[in-house]
Amino acid sequence: MSDAALLNVVLGLPVAGILAIIALPARADDGVRRLSLGVMTVQFVLTALLYARFDPAVDGLQFETRLPWIASWGVYYQIGLDGYNILLILLTAFLGPLVVWGAFTAIQKDVKLFYSMVFALQFAMVGTFLAQDLFLFYLFWEAMLIPLFLIIGIWGGERRIYATLKFVLYTAFGSILMLAAVIYLVYSLETTSGVTSFAFADLYRAELPLPVQTVLLAAFALSFAIKVPIVPFHTWLPDAHVEAPTAGSVILAGVLLKMGTYGFMKLAFPLFPDATRLLAPVFGTLAVVSILYGACLALVQTDIKKVIAYSSISHLGYVMLGLISLDLIGIQGAVMQMVSHGLVAGGLFLMVGMIYERCHTRELAAYGGIAKILPLYSVFLAVLTLAAIGLPTTSGFTGEFLVLLGAFQAAWPHYADGTAYPLVLATSAVAGVVLGALYMLGFAQKFLFGAAKAPHQPFSDLSFREGAILSAIVVAVFALGLFPDGPMKTTELAAIQYQRLVSSVRTGAVASRPVPLPVAALAAPSALSAAAPVESAR
Amino acid sequence: MNWPTIIVAMLPEHLLLAGIVVLLCLEIARGAPRGAYVVSLAAVTLALAAAMWLALGSYDYAPFPGHFSVDTAAASGKAIVLLLALLVLFIARDDFGQGAFPILLLSSLYGVCLLLSSDSFLTLFLGLELMSLPIYALVLLAYRRPESAEAALKYLVLGGTGTATLLMGVSLLYGGSGSMALYIFAGALQSDDTMARVAVMLVLVAFFLKAAIVPFHAWAPDAYEGAAVPVTAYMATIVKAGVLLAAVRLFGLAPLSPRMADAVALLPLASIVWGNLAAMRQQSLRRMIAYSSIAHAGYLFYAFLGDGPVRFQAVAFYVLAYGLMNVLALAALPRDGSDAARDRLENLRGLFHRAPAAALMIGIAMVSLAGIPPFPGFIAKFLIFRNAIAAGYTLYAVLGLVGSYLGIYFYLRVIQFLFMSDAKGTAANGAPGRLALGAGFICLLAAILLSVFPGWVIDLL
Repeated sequence: MSDAALLNVVLGLPVAGILAIIALPARADDGVRRLSLGVMTVQFVLTALLYARFDPAVDGLQFETRLPWIASWGVYYQIGLDGYNILLILLTAFLGPLVVWGAFTAIQKDVKLFYSMVFALQFAMVGTFLAQDLFLFYLFWEAMLIPLFLIIGIWGGERRIYATLKFVLYTAFGSILMLAAVIYLVYSLETTSGVTSFAFADLYRAELPLPVQTVLLAAFALSFAIKVPIVPFHTWLPDAHVEAPTAGSVILAGVLLKMGTYGFMKLAFPLFPDATRLLAPVFGTLAVVSILYGACLALVQTDIKKVIAYSSISHLGYVMLGLISLDLIGIQGAVMQMVSHGLVAGGLFLMVGMIYERCHTRELAAYGGIAKILPLYSVFLAVLTLAAIGLPTTSGFTGEFLVLLGAFQAAWPHYADGTAYPLVLATSAVAGVVLGALYMLGFAQKFLFGAAKAPHQPFSDLSFREGAILSAIVVAVFALGLFPDGPMKTTELAAIQYQRLVSSVRTGAVASRPVPLPVAALAAPSALSAAAPVESAR
Repeated sequence: MNWPTIIVAMLPEHLLLAGIVVLLCLEIARGAPRGAYVVSLAAVTLALAAAMWLALGSYDYAPFPGHFSVDTAAASGKAIVLLLALLVLFIARDDFGQGAFPILLLSSLYGVCLLLSSDSFLTLFLGLELMSLPIYALVLLAYRRPESAEAALKYLVLGGTGTATLLMGVSLLYGGSGSMALYIFAGALQSDDTMARVAVMLVLVAFFLKAAIVPFHAWAPDAYEGAAVPVTAYMATIVKAGVLLAAVRLFGLAPLSPRMADAVALLPLASIVWGNLAAMRQQSLRRMIAYSSIAHAGYLFYAFLGDGPVRFQAVAFYVLAYGLMNVLALAALPRDGSDAARDRLENLRGLFHRAPAAALMIGIAMVSLAGIPPFPGFIAKFLIFRNAIAAGYTLYAVLGLVGSYLGIYFYLRVIQFLFMSDAKGTAANGAPGRLALGAGFICLLAAILLSVFPGWVIDLL
């Protein structure tokens, strides 16, 4: 089988999984579980195979499939691997079997529906990362809503309905405005260049005046910022995380949040480079606010899941900071941070789920001295905690360090020019590292040490299944921390391309706007538009 | 007269008429005929086959020039309507296997077919009335409930008002031009003449009323709630499709002037917002569907912001996707229990545990109606808003999309009832009938076809 066909198989496997589950008899819960684990494992193995065959030296798409889908609109079924998505696909496929395996004991109700929805979610997530056509991307992006809505709403905690509705209504609002922006963007491209296309590669060439870019960027960014989430669009996240079943939390933290940052990196910033550079201080500020605000809130939480939820907000702030720094090291650090956070937060949520299955509470105050009761569990928790802080040799270190390095590197020239703000941002972000150590160590101290207490004792330490799941994650965490070279090579060319795209000037010929925009009154900041060299009209 | 052509071009209509005649003869001969249901099923199936044959063969001929013509658009429109009618007949098996229902349904369908081929206001009016009159009686068919009489009366009075408004507009158009041809309306759209403008407004209001656009929507919730489920399905899908497809014929291909665009888009926008807001508060499933259909009528009129053949494509694809999903939801409703009990949204609580297939069907229908991918409702909505933005009406499109966002909540509430609540001791427990489930499966298959190969379907239209 050719590699391109293999990639389609990777995408299609979850659908096959759903069909197989439907075909199984009604009460075959164990069969459903084993089948799901099998399908997810196969998907991971195939993805790993593709990763091994991925050539980091190729600039652009590999294993590409491009077929006309809605020909009269210029919509193609176009998928492929590149430096942007390869690591995220690998992360998604890696977490898939772990999520499924982790849910073996926790999910006892409506088992068939549960695994079908996990597969549906997996399909949509892999599809979102693989899509190279904006229509396809949007389709997969939106298709994630309903499976997660059901996962949180059916198998979640007490306030699950509230949490799941909040999640869907928040995300859907962003998507609706993005839809308008998508259509507008495609039609602007059609009227200015005569090409009707949704392909990313074509859209990267779209030339738009600065005010239009700004409005479209705002629409895209709102959608992605809600998903990341960036403060102040984050309030759905703690609720969703707390109420979701473990599997839902792991998928949410591990993969779904990366959709937002991936969207910024692949679409929002490169599509509207001039507006991005104009608004860079805004994005930088929001990133740093997310880092600090998330960390501060994590400090005072009494619910274990909320500690990790707010730490996610903080950690994804680093990703945004790295992306907006436009420094090569910062960008690569952002990608590493995405993968690392997926592993670490995913692992931590799995561990919270394991203790919850034993003690039926997530109140931090109810626990103490777990190290004495569950020694093996505590070792894993300590390792993941340290990885979350960013201890050297773990993946967390690679990501955070590179992001901060990139932020400082990008800030120095500005400082030399007399603009101190980027430097202030970078310095404040460092404070986030300290806060991170404070809340994670505080959590570990209260949880692991002190007088031994936990509700519903006695209970056993990790089972083989749980130990195997956590070992896999810890191995990955160390692998990424000790040998970041290989993965970073695969993303290098993409980072360079991203840097080039966002640095390019694409305001196009002035005032050749084809379609009236409602917010046309939005004045372009005169200093910047005057300074920007105007490219000649086509 | 060219008889062979008349026979071929009007084949769907002839087959429906034959069905009506046979049914009437049976009725006279035997009182309450047993085979009535089968006859109506056969008539609609054959008419559907004929319409598809005409559509795929790109048939283009006017058997009565200036009054009645068949082209690909008309034929595929008829095929869509007849397909939906066939599915509605499947649902109706349990309630109305016999009696007046099949005859009334076929008569109304004949009216829709006439409407879709009309070239003059004469045929248009004939079709519109022939479509509407049987429905007043159909609403009354659920005589078990006193509300039905009220609903039918309300519908009749408001429908009559719509007819009167249409006639007034048509007479003004005729007075100004001396012609009853449909294209006079398209000409009047571009005109600055006051009389032409008043005429256009009157005709537009009549169409708004028939399609239940705010503020001419008040009849819809009552009529939908008062009618029995199959009749609700018929009104929500086929009547709406007929009215909107006729409006496409009326508007022609020319782009709207900005001023006309405001007239065409403002009330539908209000309809989207109000329909979606009001649907949130409903306790009755059929009232909820009524308000949802009010919102969807709003999206449909957005299609007229675009120009050229995409207008028809957008409307046809939309009514197909929307109609299929509506039928799917209504087909999968639980069957037993009193009619009033069945209608309560609360009774859907925990349906997934009692009838998983039915719950999944209703769930998919709701997701699709909310316009969430990957179901065809999204592609239909995309088509509509694409046309609006491509024609330069970005503000309307953005407002319409935000309005559609308001609708997500109440569709999700149904899903919440289906999957996330435990059943209370409710009257409606059972799964739907086998034939209704079959209709649901056909809807599902068609929906998958529409979402996997939308390009193929769009190119056919």
